[in-house]
Amino acid sequence: MPQPSSARLHEFRIVSNDKIADGIFSLVIEAPALAAAIKPGQFMNFEVPGNAMSLLRIPLSYARADAEAGTVEVWYAVVGEGTERLSHMLPGETSTVLGPGGHGWSVPADCSRVLLVGGGIGVPPLVPLAEQLKRDGIAFDVRIGAKTASTCVGVEHFEALGASSVSVATDDGSQGHHGFVTDLVADALAGASYDYVATCGPGVMMEKTAGLALDAGAYCEASLERMMSCGFGACSTCNVETTEGMQGACMCGPVFDASKVVVW
Amino acid sequence: MAVDFGGIKMRNPINTAAGTFGQGWQFEPFIDVSELGAITTKGCAAEPWPGNPAPRMCEIPGGMMNSVGLQNPGVPAFAEESGPYLAELTDKGTQVICQVAGHSTEEYVRALELFCELCPWAAGFEINVSCPNIAAGGAACGSTPDGAAEVMRACRKVTDKPLIVKMAPVRVAEIARALEAEGADGLSVINSISGMAIDVHTRRSRLSKPTGGMSGPLCHHIAVRMVWEVANAVKIPVNGVGGVMTGEDAAEFILAGATCVSVGMANFVDPTASVRILRELEEWAASQGVSDINELRGAVIC
Repeated sequence: MPQPSSARLHEFRIVSNDKIADGIFSLVIEAPALAAAIKPGQFMNFEVPGNAMSLLRIPLSYARADAEAGTVEVWYAVVGEGTERLSHMLPGETSTVLGPGGHGWSVPADCSRVLLVGGGIGVPPLVPLAEQLKRDGIAFDVRIGAKTASTCVGVEHFEALGASSVSVATDDGSQGHHGFVTDLVADALAGASYDYVATCGPGVMMEKTAGLALDAGAYCEASLERMMSCGFGACSTCNVETTEGMQGACMCGPVFDASKVVVW
Repeated sequence: MAVDFGGIKMRNPINTAAGTFGQGWQFEPFIDVSELGAITTKGCAAEPWPGNPAPRMCEIPGGMMNSVGLQNPGVPAFAEESGPYLAELTDKGTQVICQVAGHSTEEYVRALELFCELCPWAAGFEINVSCPNIAAGGAACGSTPDGAAEVMRACRKVTDKPLIVKMAPVRVAEIARALEAEGADGLSVINSISGMAIDVHTRRSRLSKPTGGMSGPLCHHIAVRMVWEVANAVKIPVNGVGGVMTGEDAAEFILAGATCVSVGMANFVDPTASVRILRELEEWAASQGVSDINELRGAVIC
């Protein structure tokens, strides 16, 4: 039998669900088996009750997992009716989640310096990767893009995890560089030698970042987002066009070798 | 709970809708797939098809809309990858129905010939003349009695094994009669219903194609009515497909005249749905005081 998804169906209980930035929430759930199994870059598919007309699950990345406490922390942006509904769920409430799904980050062996590039709500899946890099003693720098200062998340977390440097770019100049995060990426790649670049954020940002990384000779991986129905390889809706054909983001991704991505 | 779906002997009436259940093995982490009466595998053509660009799916009230476009690896790769698992599933008593895709009558015949050669474990084949998301073949040839009959006539010459036809949600009674006349063994009613969703801010379709196929609970009562029309129009058995989320939804199809029922979108929401629906259907049959589910087929009072 071909290898099915690593996702399993878990019941969870909400520990906390708090606003951490403008339109962005931190959800902490208690789900011990999930917390013990999930790896950096993998995702989960949440059942959010409360609307009989809206049935599909909501796929989300995670920012932190604590196997000892049995908890998983998710940072999510309220972008539609489903995430709005999620933001109203209260501590103690329960539901189900499918996970962990997909392939996470694959840091190359003998890697000595890493660049993490996040845009908007693409920052969260880079946080557990930073934690892994810290544990493995690999130096890393972080570049974050946001619309404005009030929607920027992750700076203090990456600093606490020992990032060599953390810089921010905002569209309106309210924090850090006034412009695109890819300007900061170009500067970083020109100033230091990186073996590996990991990126998650808007498609245009990841495409530009991947191009810069490949030009600089660094291996680059990108975590892609697609509309998803099942999250475990049954529906064929979360397709990513790659040099090896159409591949499902849920099983072949969400983290892809950036050099193989054709349509971001 | 055993039923005979056009020569496909199912231990119970629960089947799965093609394209919503992968090749079955995707669900093994969640359920024992061999509890089901049958599974229908995702449509496959003779050659690999890439399918449509992203986005292929959007959520709509009461269901979803897709334009996958029958992405598939081709019958030989399908048989190599999933054949051993599906053969074992057959040995355990769950019937495997392989769905056949094509752009033309010739392509349906070629795909069916390959299935017969490479998938001897299959209990039967479902000819998909109703996919709304491909430019040629699919609904383009299955939406008229003549078009559907032409494909059926050609496929009938290929094999004596049970041939099911997945029908488009149009002119169902007359197309069903045409298919019966050409030797179809059973009918799956209905495929997804063509629809359109527009992002009014960008003025673009919410899918990569202008239109897509709608599925889920929003289709259920259209499907029940069409199953009832088809069951009254032909003698061959009907597989009810459309928005089955509970055992009671499945029961509605049986009462409307279906011999078996496929679970579709519910598999995405809850990967354990098919087995749960089987349990609920068993409870309903018991509550009706019958020892044989076949006694309830077409038993709607109207």
